[in-house]
Amino acid sequence: MALPAQTLSGQASLITRHAPIDRVFHWITALAVLLLMASAFLPILGLKFSWVPLHWITGVVLTAAVLFHAIRSTLFRRMKCVVPRPRDLRDFTQGKRAAKYTLPQKLMHAVLGLAVLLATATGIVMLAKVDTPLWKRDPYLLDASTWGIVYVLHGAAALAILTLTMAHIYFSLLPEKRAYLRSMIGGQMTREEAAVHHDPARWSGNRKGDPRENGT
Amino acid sequence: MDIFRITRNAWGQETLEGISWDLLPVAFGLGVAFIVGHLIWRSLRKR
Repeated sequence: MALPAQTLSGQASLITRHAPIDRVFHWITALAVLLLMASAFLPILGLKFSWVPLHWITGVVLTAAVLFHAIRSTLFRRMKCVVPRPRDLRDFTQGKRAAKYTLPQKLMHAVLGLAVLLATATGIVMLAKVDTPLWKRDPYLLDASTWGIVYVLHGAAALAILTLTMAHIYFSLLPEKRAYLRSMIGGQMTREEAAVHHDPARWSGNRKGDPRENGT
Repeated sequence: MDIFRITRNAWGQETLEGISWDLLPVAFGLGVAFIVGHLIWRSLRKR
C-alpha cells in the first residue's frame, strides 16, 4: 500500500520545477546578459578594453539561446503557462494561489523577455557593422537615420535589461524566494515550499506525460 | 540631461547616434529605487 505523502521522507516530498534543459538555458542566458552588460557599460564608465569581440560573440550566443527557447516553448511546451492573463490578476488581487508561475513571475518574464528580444533583434542587425571571420562589415546596409533608430532601440533595451536584471537578482536573493533560486540550480523544491504560492490542484510539480505538467 | 546622442555629419546634418548614456545612471538608479522601495514595503508588511 502506498504511504501518504506526509509520511514519506524529505527526499520523496521534492517536486521538479525546472527541467535540466530549462536550467541550462537560464544560466547560459544569465551569463550572456551579464557579459553583454559588462562589455557595453564598463567602457562607458571609463574602463577601456577591446569590448567589441566579447560583445558580438556573446550576443550571438544569447541570440542562439533565445531562438532555442522560443522554438522549444512555442512548439513543444504549453507557452500559456507563463503568459500573464486576466485570471492571474484576479487571483493575485484575491490572494489566491497561482499555478506554476505567479503573476509577478509572469510579468517579469514578459517584460525582461521583450527587452531581450528587442536587444537581440537590433543586435543581429548591428552585426552588419562588425568585421568577423564569418562576414565582412557592411555599414551601408541601412541609411544613417535608420541606423540611429536601431541604436536607440538597442540602447533602450539594454538600459531596461539593466534595471530588470537588478530587480530579478534582488528577488532571487530574498530569503522567502530562496526556494525558487534553489529550484533554478538543482531543479527541485519541496511540496511545502511550492504550496505557499502555488495551488497543488493547478500545479504540483512537473511530471512527464502529465497534460498539466506546466500548470496553467 | 539628453535622451539621445546626436552628431552632425560631413554636410552639417544632425544624425541620430543612439540613446544618451546620461540615462545609464538613471536606469541603475531606478533599479536601486525599486529594490529600496520593495525592502521598505516588505518590512512594513511584516510588522
